[in-house]
Amino acid sequence: MNNDRFWDKKTTELGRDEIKAIQLTRLQRTLKHCYDNNSFYRKRMDDGGLDPENIKDLADLEKLPFTSKEELRDNYPFGLFCTPLEEVIRIHSSSGTTGNPTVVGYTQQDLNMWSDVLARIMYDVGTRREDVVQVSHGFGLFTGGFGFQNSAEKIGAMMVPASGGNTERQLKLMIDFKTTVLCCTPSYTLHMAEVAEKKGIDFSKLYLKLGFFGAEPWSESMRKEIEERLHITALDSYGLSEVIGPGVSCECLHQNGLHINEDHFLAEIIDPATGKTLPLGEKGEITFTSLTKKAFPVLRYRTKDISYLIEEDCQCGKKFIRMAKPMGRTDDMMIIRGVNVFPSQIEEVLMSVGDLEPHYLIVLDTKNYMDTIEVWVEVSEEKFHDKIMDLEDFERSIESRLYSDIGIRIKASLKEPKTIARSEGKAQRVLDKRKTN
Amino acid sequence: MGSSDYWEPEVETLSRNRLEELQLKRLKNMLVKTCSTVDLYRRRLDDAGIDPKRFNTLDDLEKIPFTVKDDLRDNYPFGLFARTMKEVVRIHSSSGTTGNPTVVGYTKNDIAMWANLIARQLYAAGIRRDDVIQNSYGYGLFTGGLGLHYGGELLGAVVVPVSGGNTERQIKIMQDYKSTAICCTPSYALYIAEVGKELGVDFESLPLVTGIMGAEPWTEEIRREIEARLHIDAIDIYGLSEIIGPGVSCECDRKAGLHIAEDHFIIEIIDPETGKRKKPGEIGEMVFTSLTKEALPIIRYRTRDLSKIDTSKCGCGRTHARMAKPMGRADDMLIIRGVNVFPSQIEEVLMQVRGVEPHYLIVVDSKNYLDTLEVWIEVSEEIFSEKMNDLENFESAIEHKLYSITGIKIDVKLKEPKTIQRSIGKAKRVIDKRKGETI
Repeated sequence: MNNDRFWDKKTTELGRDEIKAIQLTRLQRTLKHCYDNNSFYRKRMDDGGLDPENIKDLADLEKLPFTSKEELRDNYPFGLFCTPLEEVIRIHSSSGTTGNPTVVGYTQQDLNMWSDVLARIMYDVGTRREDVVQVSHGFGLFTGGFGFQNSAEKIGAMMVPASGGNTERQLKLMIDFKTTVLCCTPSYTLHMAEVAEKKGIDFSKLYLKLGFFGAEPWSESMRKEIEERLHITALDSYGLSEVIGPGVSCECLHQNGLHINEDHFLAEIIDPATGKTLPLGEKGEITFTSLTKKAFPVLRYRTKDISYLIEEDCQCGKKFIRMAKPMGRTDDMMIIRGVNVFPSQIEEVLMSVGDLEPHYLIVLDTKNYMDTIEVWVEVSEEKFHDKIMDLEDFERSIESRLYSDIGIRIKASLKEPKTIARSEGKAQRVLDKRKTN
Repeated sequence: MGSSDYWEPEVETLSRNRLEELQLKRLKNMLVKTCSTVDLYRRRLDDAGIDPKRFNTLDDLEKIPFTVKDDLRDNYPFGLFARTMKEVVRIHSSSGTTGNPTVVGYTKNDIAMWANLIARQLYAAGIRRDDVIQNSYGYGLFTGGLGLHYGGELLGAVVVPVSGGNTERQIKIMQDYKSTAICCTPSYALYIAEVGKELGVDFESLPLVTGIMGAEPWTEEIRREIEARLHIDAIDIYGLSEIIGPGVSCECDRKAGLHIAEDHFIIEIIDPETGKRKKPGEIGEMVFTSLTKEALPIIRYRTRDLSKIDTSKCGCGRTHARMAKPMGRADDMLIIRGVNVFPSQIEEVLMQVRGVEPHYLIVVDSKNYLDTLEVWIEVSEEIFSEKMNDLENFESAIEHKLYSITGIKIDVKLKEPKTIQRSIGKAKRVIDKRKGETI
């Protein structure tokens, strides 16, 4: 099949000017597509005095307002789609039903592009058809599982859709099927390592050599730990469903920044406070504009992730610009075992349950390398003096409400009235013990 | 895609003669290839004195030994694969908790063939590219989710991969995305209906019109319940991962038996005790042989599922044989004091009784060395709030009906509404305490 070093040699070795020329042509096409097919975008461009027929330079993009998660939610479910539903064949969505989740759609062409950009990432660092790729990201509405599944199959590797959870089975599959490549969140990977060590599994004797890790931020020290304990090369893979899913960018084997698939996604770094574009190399919020998507293009989408861009040539030979490993968020979004959760979602659930006081604290921690999340909330005096059994049932019912609204298991601990510390200024609603561990 | 009645007009309406010619050609081809690559099959055919090159009639198939689940387990994980790892692009596996799971593999062609079968069946069930399919089967190693998924995409419908569980979210998505079709197990469909009712959802006003349901046996009575509660047409789909996954057979919109994809699979019906072929129309165990699968060809695989076959042309114009709704499992057959009883027989009786909810549990035990059979049934609020006397009369009326259908005495225990455990995947309907199972 493909014996080259690169999946798509021609595109990968394009010079900077050539890449920019491709970006401009595709940007013009995308703006016109949005203008012609979606009233929301048409109105925005008209209001901003931006003529999609008259884009001469990539810098013209700055005239366009940003898109943020709020606009996606306001146009729930399909309001920002730019093709008729007849052409859409796949939906993905963020978890969470409090407020509206973000919903994204794909045409066949979008899915082909997605599997191609991620196959490019996987192939270029050595994934081949003789590899066994274990996909331990969740499948379903979440883009993680599907993304890696499609691309591994496209390369022709043997793809094992293990999905998340059931750690002992994950390890059995890894051993019995001689898995060589793992796709997973970094925290779950460390949890697997822990369980494996307890069972006496020696990773240096297994076939595993490479891992793509993402869906949550992770540090260099975590990378070092994964690489040492699993005896593999651990690469950072970045993506978000609003832009496409995994496949937006990923490290090469030099691990010095994530190469952005620039022929499909245009990155800008902005000052999150002023919205001004920052000079190359400065740290700020990364925003993306899709250049080829049909069903759900995004224009200047604010990721709220903090990073900077690196233009210097990389030793791997790829000319695509790199983004630094994301180094935090501009908002209070929490990432729990790969799932995005906002404190406001939890608050909304708590406040819709009777018998609770508006005093709560969200406690994040890790146990065996897995994130844990617990919410402490004060109950009303009246409820507190009920029998203790009653309170336990009450906790269970709050937990089930949280699960059905947010999509992850959150432990609820009821506290006596007036026991959670009050704040004088801005309330401290989140205690993240993971950061101090 | 040609005519608007069929996904693949030519192959779906081939005459029986042409269909059998095609099967013979493909069977011979498959046997020759498989015997040259898979040790187990080569030995089995050698031992039976069969030369695949001289395979002249479909009847010769009967001379080949059966393949059973243990053959897959014994050759775990990849021992029965006919292609190298380089050509295999996907693995699925049973959830099996005891011993080794059953592992199945697919080449790119297998995946494409599978998606095409599902697209054909969804199309026959009336689903088109402007439909929104909510796929609530589990995704991952289980074949249900990914199997249905890629067929839906090939058809060009909007596929929403919700996967199983989180019933309130399922209902929200159904309302917000205007789902027109749902794929899930029949027992989960009933659970969705129940939760929806509690939430005050009016299913009649939703755009949902079709259900594609399988992965467990279900009766006509359960179908009527689902159709009445969700206001949809509930279509039965059948498959097992050893053969390919969902897509082996599926009803068309006439709901008059499940059309088997005979251009890719040969079906035989055998007596589960003797292994002899049954006469056309008789009930027995279904045995499948794959004709076109590359990574894991399968020869005379015993499904343990019971059904019967009708080869007459269907009102829809398709010629592919139809299997009756599976009637239970050869190994689910309960032998109670020497009498064969199928859980499906009990279900049929129960669902004909007014005031009985479609949630029940069959409890088998023994007392003084004699088998006992009890059925726990949920009844509606109205019935349950009646006087004790009336409840007892109600019980004995059901017992009498059960006796007249099964020929054995079955104790009926009425339970309060919502006290029997619900399932999100496959329903567990029988607890056999004789085998040490507990509730």
